[in-house]
Amino acid sequence: MRRALSVILGSQQFGLVAVILLLGTILTLFGGSHEDRATGQMVNNFLNPQTLMQVATFASFFAIMAVGMTMVIITTGIDLSVGSTYALSGVLTAMVLSKMYPIVTQPAPGAVWVAMGLCLGIGLAAGLLNGFLITALGVHPFIITLGTMWIFRGVAFVLSNALSILVPTSLTQFAKAPLGFAQGVTPVPVIAMLIVAVAGWLFLTRTVTGRRIFAVGGNLTASQYSGVPIKRILVIVYAVSGLTAGIAAFLAMSYFGSAQSADAQGYELYVIASAVVGGASLAGGKGSAISAMLGALLISLIQQAIRTLKINQEYEWIIIGCAIIIAVVLDRVSARVGSARLTQGRL
Amino acid sequence: METWAVEAREICKRFPGVQALDHASVAVAPGSCHALMGENGAGKSTLGKILSGIYEPDSGTILLEGRPVRFANPMQASQAGVSIVHQELLFCENMTVGENLCLEDLPNRRGWVDWGEMRRRAKAWLEAIGADVDPDATVGSLPISLQQMVQIAGAIGRGAKVLIFDEPTSSLTQRETETLFDQIRRLTSQGVACIYVSHRMDEIFEICDSVTVLRDGKTVGTRPTEGLTRDELVRMMIGRNIDTASVRAIGTHPDGVLLRVQGLGSPPRFADVSFEVRAGEVVGFAGLVGAGRSEVAQAIFGLDPKATGRVWVGGTEAARRSPASMMRLGLGLVPEDRKRQGLVLGMTARENISLPSLPRLSRAGFVDRERELELARRFFDAMAVKAPHVDAPSAGLSGGNQQKLVMAKWLAADCRVLILDEPTRGVDVGTKSEIHHMIRRLAAEGRAVVVISSELPELLTVSDRILAMRNGRIAGELPADAATEEALLRLMTGVEAAVSA
Repeated sequence: MRRALSVILGSQQFGLVAVILLLGTILTLFGGSHEDRATGQMVNNFLNPQTLMQVATFASFFAIMAVGMTMVIITTGIDLSVGSTYALSGVLTAMVLSKMYPIVTQPAPGAVWVAMGLCLGIGLAAGLLNGFLITALGVHPFIITLGTMWIFRGVAFVLSNALSILVPTSLTQFAKAPLGFAQGVTPVPVIAMLIVAVAGWLFLTRTVTGRRIFAVGGNLTASQYSGVPIKRILVIVYAVSGLTAGIAAFLAMSYFGSAQSADAQGYELYVIASAVVGGASLAGGKGSAISAMLGALLISLIQQAIRTLKINQEYEWIIIGCAIIIAVVLDRVSARVGSARLTQGRL
Repeated sequence: METWAVEAREICKRFPGVQALDHASVAVAPGSCHALMGENGAGKSTLGKILSGIYEPDSGTILLEGRPVRFANPMQASQAGVSIVHQELLFCENMTVGENLCLEDLPNRRGWVDWGEMRRRAKAWLEAIGADVDPDATVGSLPISLQQMVQIAGAIGRGAKVLIFDEPTSSLTQRETETLFDQIRRLTSQGVACIYVSHRMDEIFEICDSVTVLRDGKTVGTRPTEGLTRDELVRMMIGRNIDTASVRAIGTHPDGVLLRVQGLGSPPRFADVSFEVRAGEVVGFAGLVGAGRSEVAQAIFGLDPKATGRVWVGGTEAARRSPASMMRLGLGLVPEDRKRQGLVLGMTARENISLPSLPRLSRAGFVDRERELELARRFFDAMAVKAPHVDAPSAGLSGGNQQKLVMAKWLAADCRVLILDEPTRGVDVGTKSEIHHMIRRLAAEGRAVVVISSELPELLTVSDRILAMRNGRIAGELPADAATEEALLRLMTGVEAAVSA
């Protein structure tokens, strides 16, 4: 029992989960309630299936990318182009779909698979391009992805003439499938987020490539001396980052029913924030896919809190900015306390 | 009673997981050079850092000329007259010598830096210790030996009465070491008390008047160096006897060439390097710093893309050399800088040992953690790494144990040919002899071993043959039983006449 408790308390995610639960409790207690128009029952403004699912859904789009970003950050890199990769995959896919299925309302069961393949493929290709440029030119990833951030969005802009392109409604039916949940609850993006986070966690902690990602980030020279194929590892992390942007683009495009070149503008900052709030260290060698997802959930929850507590919307950026700094500082303090406690316990 | 220049009484210092100092005491007379000795982890560097204000002691007192003092930081210590010359020098490498010397108190006129005054002060300080350094030179462009002189000039210029040297010669050549020793002698003759932290015995006997030995954070004793023998000193340090003579006694049967290098070159660093190492053989590489030994090792291991020449491992020629392909052929390199090149310090011992072997330990890309643990445990135990367990963080291990970990890593990777670059640098005496025995055992088990070392006694102890390099070329070869330090030095330096070794 004490052992189980210490495992939970000592786990990497405990702090984040605790903060999320605490904020959730506060919202439940102070968010007030409203009368449901259909049933006439009083419903808590926060603690109801629709709101909770909305928080998770909004989080899912950048949580998925935060899993890829975490891998990049573990290697001491950064990928600023994820928001643009997302827009590019969405726009290109939507354009292909509009050629294949000119009437969006017509049932098109194959469209989902075409869209999924295209989005993921384009995202992966964009990520590979980043990886190859970074390793071949030997330029810092900040610069390369800063460049491709403009380029990818520019390509999407030119090709689409900045128009919003509708996608077949069968995509929306897929993304908003209730799967037997309560009315108004659409779990598909959230399920996708959970799958990506668990897959990312398995990849990072259980595979050879995952271990090498940590090694490269922990000590590049020693990894090279250990026969780790550095360039291949770097290409892989940027490819995965691009791939996750493609996944997010597919889900969001399907969910919202359209794509345009201005989609996900500034998303890279939410994605980096999620990874960092989730404990990924820009110094490299440290990070977790599950924590990155929790980081995204926390940010989405803060946005919800502003709505539920009826705080002036204008304060959102200030609050999120403060939350990021506080989260990272707290993480560092608790890591220090935790390691001190661990070593004392051993003696 | 004599007044000590500086005295530390009953100092205790605890770090997470380790009692670094346990009622340690030392006293140094003005104008003397006093050695702090001990194995790695004995607490000698910690004591030096406490005296210079880098760490604060948990308990105990420091007396400066008989008066108790407390330093909250190095700045306070230096104002009181105690300065440290650092193991890893602390400089803003991109700034000039003058700026660095005056950093604590930059001469200025209403906030604007007074460059003339700064240069004048820096020059005066440098001249005071007879150092020939340009105050306008960028610190990063100076060799370590001159950076040290700048540090000393700064300390003396700020009025240091006690100067602490923490492993000052670890990156110096023999000549630079001599210059440093002349400097220390000059300082002591002017009444400065010097504390010399080192585990290099030759240096202690050459430069120090007395020595305090620490073991496990406790003071073992203080002796004048005159009349003290090396054996006594070693016994004080490790608390037992060690044998250095019997290392080579294990029988070997040289047969079958495992490593063959032909015409290896990478101008301008080295050229025309050819040699062979047989199974069961240990071949030593002697040479001065910069002779190209480490560069040859790195080229063999595929870390130098510009290197030309051919390499065979166990009869197979390495077509394209890269660390991964050399590893597959069964060649491993234990690099000289274990913290930078050898280990991923953020990972555990297990993860470090298995890193090169991961592909072998995986199924469908997933690491088989049972097999990984088993492999790591086997070589962790074989190398007798002293750590709480195989999942201990590698950053917390002592230098000797980190070195064993790097060796374990390559043994786990099943290497038939091992190149060890400075395998005992910064390793304490006890572990050193352990590593020497292991090197012989690795050869006796049928491996081919190359040992690069700057310590000639070490090469003479472990090698069967010794190759000497000079200016990027192999200058000659001697069988170990016929080799002497003098003969090797002659090959290394190219001096035909007798060299005073």
